[in-house]
Amino acid sequence: MHIYANPKRFLSLARWLMPLMLWSGLAMSAGAIAWGLFAVPQDRLMGETVRILFIHVPAAWLGMGGWGALAIASAALLIWKHPLAAIAARAIAVPGMVFCAICLATGSIWGRPTWGTWWVWDGRLTSMLVLLFLYAGYIALSQATAREGGSQKIAAIFALVGAINIPIINRSVVWWNSLHQPPSITAGQSSIDPVFLWPLLAAVIGFSLVFGALVLMRMRALIAEAQVEARLRRRALDDDTPAPTRAGPAMETA
Amino acid sequence: MKAKHQRLALVVLALVAIVAAGLIAAWTLRNQANYFYLPEQMASEPPAVGQAVRLGGMVQPGSIQTLADGVSVRFVVTGNTASTVPVRYSGILPDLFVEGSGVVAEGSLGPDGVFQASNLLAKHDENYVPRELEGLHGEDAAQQARETVAGLD
Amino acid sequence: MYEGLDQWDYVVAAYAVGLIALGWLLASSWRAMARAEKRREELKRR
Repeated sequence: MHIYANPKRFLSLARWLMPLMLWSGLAMSAGAIAWGLFAVPQDRLMGETVRILFIHVPAAWLGMGGWGALAIASAALLIWKHPLAAIAARAIAVPGMVFCAICLATGSIWGRPTWGTWWVWDGRLTSMLVLLFLYAGYIALSQATAREGGSQKIAAIFALVGAINIPIINRSVVWWNSLHQPPSITAGQSSIDPVFLWPLLAAVIGFSLVFGALVLMRMRALIAEAQVEARLRRRALDDDTPAPTRAGPAMETA
Repeated sequence: MKAKHQRLALVVLALVAIVAAGLIAAWTLRNQANYFYLPEQMASEPPAVGQAVRLGGMVQPGSIQTLADGVSVRFVVTGNTASTVPVRYSGILPDLFVEGSGVVAEGSLGPDGVFQASNLLAKHDENYVPRELEGLHGEDAAQQARETVAGLD
Repeated sequence: MYEGLDQWDYVVAAYAVGLIALGWLLASSWRAMARAEKRREELKRR
């Protein structure tokens, strides 16, 4: 069985890396949010609502970056058939979807006082909503195949096909006239004043660390569940055939 | 090793095909997916009179005037070129609606060439600037003017 | 003529939505991991 190829080394890595990422990420995010909520001055036009920037942008980055990681893990699964890649892909999906939903919700709340509307069907907002549906589709697909014992290949192909939406989201504000403003940070240039940019950077790094910790947590859970299932199955096989000839396939080679 | 390379080539090929398909779709969509008309687009290919469309651009500085009824405003929207479109709107203005800032007006082109807006959306630009650095601008300038006038009374 | 919305309401609402979702995600992921690993250890011991 591939899953048991060698999760041992990964688990020993995850055991210390996950808490490290979690606590440093939480501390950094909390600091960045406090900075953004209480220390940053008002924006010239938006006033206080500019503070939503420090949760909206990290959520957007992780929602999109999450699908990028999902696509890379899926490609690794298809090419090298690495068992950890399948687990990583499944572990990324739910956090990615939650961050995508946070991005949409905070953006909507920001849009009401800034634009005068909760929602418009412009290129950026619509393509981000499509990403949310892609996550939902991927989660349904990968859970169904995991439960019914099918291969994760179909979900992996779906992840690769869905990846085309990422550059579309990124370019939507450039290609089309949209209500959402064009990118503020492009190729090393920023039209965000440093007073907003530094806490934003801290928030992005902090939330990314939390995201990494979440993925490691979910990977550990998936590995443990698979090991439990394999052990139970082997035990059931042993009970069915108590004879000295253990005909069942060796489920656990580790 | 050979099978692995074959799979790698297949995945890369499929990826290239998907990206190409997506780009072609986005390219053909590029006009349909526009959320609004710019003033120059409205001048070169005007929508039918009464057809529901959106107009987007910058509010020309100094063009906002309140009409006699007290709830209607008139202003001029500019784009990237010299062409402008006059707009008429009655209703509540969004907070960010100031001269020199972006706006999207929903409505239709009237027979007199004035765009009748039924709803206004303020468009934010990509610049994030703290108030202190910007000096007096937009809302602040208006606020300052109001306070100054009130002080003189 | 302007709407004059209270901007802090929106800021608080945005952070409440975001942090509640994140807290739920952290709690559920942590619980799933702890439960699965505990179950594995129990099975191993038996």
